[in-house]
Amino acid sequence: METNLVVEGLKFMVLGMGIVFAFLGVLILVMNVMSKLIHKYFPEPDPTQAPVVVKGGEDKKKVVAAIFAAIMEDKKSQL
Amino acid sequence: MKSFIIKLFMALALTLTATSAMASSHEAPLTQQQQASDKNYESKSILTMVSDFLKTTGVVALANPDVPKNISKDKVAMYKFHQSWGRIIMFGIVFLLFWLAIAKGFEPLLLLPIAFGGLLANIPVADIAGPHGFLGVIYQAGLSNELFPIIIFMGVGAMTDFGPLLSNPKTALLGGAAQFGIFGTLVGAVALSQYTDIFNFTLQQSSAISIIGGADGPTSIFIATKLAPELLGAIAVASYSYMAMVPIIQPPIMKALTTDKERRIKMSTLRHVSRMEKLVFPVVVLMLAILFLPDSTPLIGAFMFGNFLKESGVVERLNDTLQNALINITTIFLGLGVGSKLEADKFLVPDTLGILVLGIVAFSVGTAAGVLMAKVMNLFPGTKVNPLIGSAGVSAVPMAARVSNKVGMEYDRTNMLLMHAMGPNVAGVIGSAVAAGVLISIFK
Repeated sequence: METNLVVEGLKFMVLGMGIVFAFLGVLILVMNVMSKLIHKYFPEPDPTQAPVVVKGGEDKKKVVAAIFAAIMEDKKSQL
Repeated sequence: MKSFIIKLFMALALTLTATSAMASSHEAPLTQQQQASDKNYESKSILTMVSDFLKTTGVVALANPDVPKNISKDKVAMYKFHQSWGRIIMFGIVFLLFWLAIAKGFEPLLLLPIAFGGLLANIPVADIAGPHGFLGVIYQAGLSNELFPIIIFMGVGAMTDFGPLLSNPKTALLGGAAQFGIFGTLVGAVALSQYTDIFNFTLQQSSAISIIGGADGPTSIFIATKLAPELLGAIAVASYSYMAMVPIIQPPIMKALTTDKERRIKMSTLRHVSRMEKLVFPVVVLMLAILFLPDSTPLIGAFMFGNFLKESGVVERLNDTLQNALINITTIFLGLGVGSKLEADKFLVPDTLGILVLGIVAFSVGTAAGVLMAKVMNLFPGTKVNPLIGSAGVSAVPMAARVSNKVGMEYDRTNMLLMHAMGPNVAGVIGSAVAAGVLISIFK
């Protein structure tokens, strides 16, 4: 038994933790780039529509009026 | 027509007799022996038959086990112990595992099949865990070739949502830091083997044991069967027991390493992650694994396959099967197969105690490393991270994330850390798969 096992273990540790961190570090970079690219070229329709609804919510009376009008319209058509 | 059929039968009969004659000439010595043993059957009196039968009962086998001739004399006492008291002790251990699984709710999905497999494996005479017993067959079919852990990984992939990680990518570092539990324990295990007489683990065995610190059952089993199959039973039992004990092991470590102020840190709400991102992510991770470390791709590939099916949204049936039917079936077989390694002569050895101790050390070190990494990240400018989510960097999805959430709520009822902790949690799965890949590549 010439090899010192502890030194071997330490080598494993340096190599292992190094690769784990390198992998995850690159992964973080790639994730950031990926989400930027995707948001640029494949924007989702949902987030852009969502704020419109929220903005409408600020002016509650208008919304209520619109819903009311719609319901009345619906009732008329049913009659 | 009739004559044709008759001719056909005659031809068949001829070929059959010819082949059987050839076979019997080949296996002549064997068949003669068999015939001899057949001829040895003598009619016995009912009394001798009853006494002979009694010799094959479990009571006799447990009280006075037969010792095969090929066992050296100094090992006879040990052999006898394993065959008699050893089995009875294992029954006790199995009942303890039953109790933990049923009354305490410790990972019952796996502990129950493992424990029952252990019970079956310790039955004397029947040799269920032997190469021709059904447990042995299950082990050969899916564990010795590492198939079952891979299938489990597919199912886990289909259950995983990478959204929290994608919306806060830097938390992946926490999942990396927690892998220090694996490598730190590896050094500890070889140091103990080198400088003390307590254990005598080889580098391979130490690596297989320390992977328990990854807190990932399938990965542990995968590595153990590759590097140290003789320790599989103990490693799997330790791994799953500690995963189940995450809510007990982690909080004291988390509290000891953080200040009250740190525990109250609130994290900003996670941004919305688009479907496209979730769909591309598994492929990107796999590509990175291919470039960096192809040895990790069996695990990462299976994981990302499951996740890709889920995120694609067009194969709901396959996704459903992976998440439910397939993973459940495989869990049953995996548990029973691991249980087959709980035979007394393999489990009741001093090494098992070492594995249990080193396993909990690995787990605790991983937890601590994750928490400390979060504190290090807070030293840098940018949004602060609550160190409590660092402990979720050990995989144990989703238990570790729930623990982070629970401890956080103890200090601030309004602080919801669950989704934030899921980021390091799933990164921990990737991290431990990478760590496993490194170990595999070293021992190639």
